[in-house]
Amino acid sequence: MALALEMTGITKYFASTDVKANDKVDFAVEAGEVHALVGENGAGKTTLMSILYGLVKPDSGEIKVDGKPVVITRPDDAIRNGIGMVHQHFKLVPSFTVAQSILLGMEPNRAGFLTPNEENRAVAELAERHGLPVDPKARIRDLPVGMQQRVEILKVLERNARILVLDEPTAVLTPQEVAELMRVVRNLSKAGYTVVFITHKLLEVVRVADRVSVMRAGRNAGSKAVAETTVPELARMMVGREVLLKVNKAPRQAGEVVFAADDVSVTDVRGFPAVTRVSFNVRAGEILGIAGVSGNGQTELVEAITGMRALDGGRLVINTKDATTLSVRERRERGLAHIPEDRIHVGLNLDTNLDENLIVSRYRLGQFNRAGFLNRRSMRDFAADVIKRFSVAAAVPGGGISRLSGGNMQKIVIGRELAGEPSFIVANQPTRGLDVGSIEFVHRSLVEARDRGAGILLVSVELEEILALSDRVLVMYRGQIQGEVDPATATEEQIGLLMAGAHPEPASAAGPAA
Amino acid sequence: MTHDRLKQFDAFLIPILAVISGLLVSVVLVLLTKTSPIEAYRILFVAGFGCNDLTHCALFTTLERATPLILTGLSAVVAFRSGMFSIGQEGQYLLGAVVAAWLGYAIQLPPVIHPIFIMTMSMLAGAAYGWVPGVLRVKLGVNELLVTIVLNAIAVLFAEYMVQFPLRSDPGATAHSPIIDLTAQLPTFLPGSKWGVGFILAVLAAYIVYVYLWRSTPGYEQRMAGQSKRFALFGGIPSDQAAIRAMLISGALAGLAGSIEILGVHRRIMQAFSVGLGFDGLSVAILGQTHPLGVVIVAILFAGVRLGAQLGLQLEAQIPRELGGTMIGLIILFVALRKFYEGNIERTRNWLGRFFNRGQSRPE
Repeated sequence: MALALEMTGITKYFASTDVKANDKVDFAVEAGEVHALVGENGAGKTTLMSILYGLVKPDSGEIKVDGKPVVITRPDDAIRNGIGMVHQHFKLVPSFTVAQSILLGMEPNRAGFLTPNEENRAVAELAERHGLPVDPKARIRDLPVGMQQRVEILKVLERNARILVLDEPTAVLTPQEVAELMRVVRNLSKAGYTVVFITHKLLEVVRVADRVSVMRAGRNAGSKAVAETTVPELARMMVGREVLLKVNKAPRQAGEVVFAADDVSVTDVRGFPAVTRVSFNVRAGEILGIAGVSGNGQTELVEAITGMRALDGGRLVINTKDATTLSVRERRERGLAHIPEDRIHVGLNLDTNLDENLIVSRYRLGQFNRAGFLNRRSMRDFAADVIKRFSVAAAVPGGGISRLSGGNMQKIVIGRELAGEPSFIVANQPTRGLDVGSIEFVHRSLVEARDRGAGILLVSVELEEILALSDRVLVMYRGQIQGEVDPATATEEQIGLLMAGAHPEPASAAGPAA
Repeated sequence: MTHDRLKQFDAFLIPILAVISGLLVSVVLVLLTKTSPIEAYRILFVAGFGCNDLTHCALFTTLERATPLILTGLSAVVAFRSGMFSIGQEGQYLLGAVVAAWLGYAIQLPPVIHPIFIMTMSMLAGAAYGWVPGVLRVKLGVNELLVTIVLNAIAVLFAEYMVQFPLRSDPGATAHSPIIDLTAQLPTFLPGSKWGVGFILAVLAAYIVYVYLWRSTPGYEQRMAGQSKRFALFGGIPSDQAAIRAMLISGALAGLAGSIEILGVHRRIMQAFSVGLGFDGLSVAILGQTHPLGVVIVAILFAGVRLGAQLGLQLEAQIPRELGGTMIGLIILFVALRKFYEGNIERTRNWLGRFFNRGQSRPE
């Protein structure tokens, strides 16, 4: 079959970070196929696609669309050449209707006036034509994430794209929505569209793609037909070594209750209720997983537990003592550790060096504090120790951390939080954006902490992660615990339904632990 | 060189490039007065930094005038580094000056004790005036920038009132307070300038501010809270206390500046005492990369350029002394364009790297 897209010798060097994001990358996609582009974070997938879409200017290399060389310097050029992109973070205006969003900038008009009826009709027709039903009059803010994504896809189709680039499209979806997206992608391919599907989840590659290209360290590590490869082989190509995809852990040895939430309610930044009357507890030696689609109150719940946000109601107990109104410092002194979801803005301070980052929660201890002055030697020793124990590549004591990879940054956060053997660990999205090798490391660290006797609250939108690590699983939906499931027996579908707001079957319904 | 080293190097390079750019653009202005720029800059430099003999030394006058700039600059550094965008130095400086002018004649104390007591009281006054925006920020979330602007205006009028009425010594044409007692005056080093103990105190303050911010745990708290509020909250750093402490220290430093200006230079307060020395501290802090060492260097540079413009350009070359202020303005403008320099420094570095073909393999 003819090539729809051919990129040859693409090179891009970022001087500001001293990274060769793309190094003579060749990338070819056949017309009408679904082509998965996989790779660790920082492997150069996003840079390659940003170059294709005109967001980043390459140092060298050329792009051919349908066999003809094209010059793409801005997104307009890409769109004119039939390339459309659906970004990971949707670029939609919440107060717009579906029709307004899709036709943005190309609205039909009558003597300069908008014609809403015509807009709605045109969008309904478009949706019909592609078998992607949407309500043209619905407001974006009222739509579930899967629907918003559909709007983005229609927006690209309306602009006559023949090649669709989907950047990590499943990251924000429930399993049901993922299945629906897979169906849509297959149909688009059947209708003659070419789809580039960027992902780091290898199981999705097998489910949806015809061919796959693996990026590693700025180079194309190989392209293969999906039928001729396996998940372990792809993982090895991505990381460059054998990877343990399964987490090995011993049966749970649950002990005392280390944390209890009792009837907890929290409001979000805008003052709306985010968590409503949630109760559960975490025991020593177990991992309690909280599953749920992102934005269902997990962030606020974690902030309330860790002391970064005040409660609206209810009680918190850490190690048998009431912690409802304690400060972050007091909670940490009682054995709390916190691995935050945003490691760059919350878990670390990129403006200062490694040593000062590592002492943020313990700079008052005698080890680092000599009569009000920082003990810089012991800070340095501590940094060297964390680097060694957690093998943080490329970090040096006293050095900056802003240029470390996401995986190494997370190792610093985990190294700091697990030092001092905390009894209760809150880990929120601990592997977000990390590559396979780093994920393996984070999972192992958490399981080790559990086996040592710590109680762990694991909050993640990655269902596989929750199922692989947790001893018990709660599903959160719209600020409430929708149900509890046993990860050993639960199916993805069962959890997916709870994540989407369905009520648990009476048989498996377990009341929130008191 | 490692990346961290390069960044430190740039911290020096950028202000130097800004100064050079400011001086180059000023050449155009000098040419408008039909004077040779080389001659103008020579006169400016000699009048600002030259030294004929120990009693006719422009440099000493420059150091005298740099003293309040160093202290108000440090005041801004402490606030900025702690995440408080306070521009209240002017008001705190004026309160410190009013307190010093009053206590200088109103109470009798033995020498040495007298100025120490006065400076302490001036620092307390400045600190109290800095505490107000700090508390409003922490307790009510009021923007400290707006509060300090308003408090500055109040302080200017308050100082003017104090000079015109309660502190006024005689009904002459220009209002001023009585000369302060000899016991209260800060000693100067040499005749011919008021360069004295105040300068030593300012440099000492710069050192103390450095040690406090970068070596002490309270300073660590302030810097972390200033660099990333969310990180500080996450780690359990009491940001609110840190912010208030920053405002107290910042106010005290500006108050000390006002005190030294009275005790060491003017010996009294007169009407129109406020000439914007507090605001100059902001420029000094920004051009000095909000670092105490940078503040000391830039304060001396500013004072010298001003003095050179006033005594050199105006008196010798008949160029209006406002040119000095314009130069300083241009330099600040170029500092504000630091992104421009960063981009170009990086580009030049890459170009040089390619030119010398030092394409050694770069570690990840």
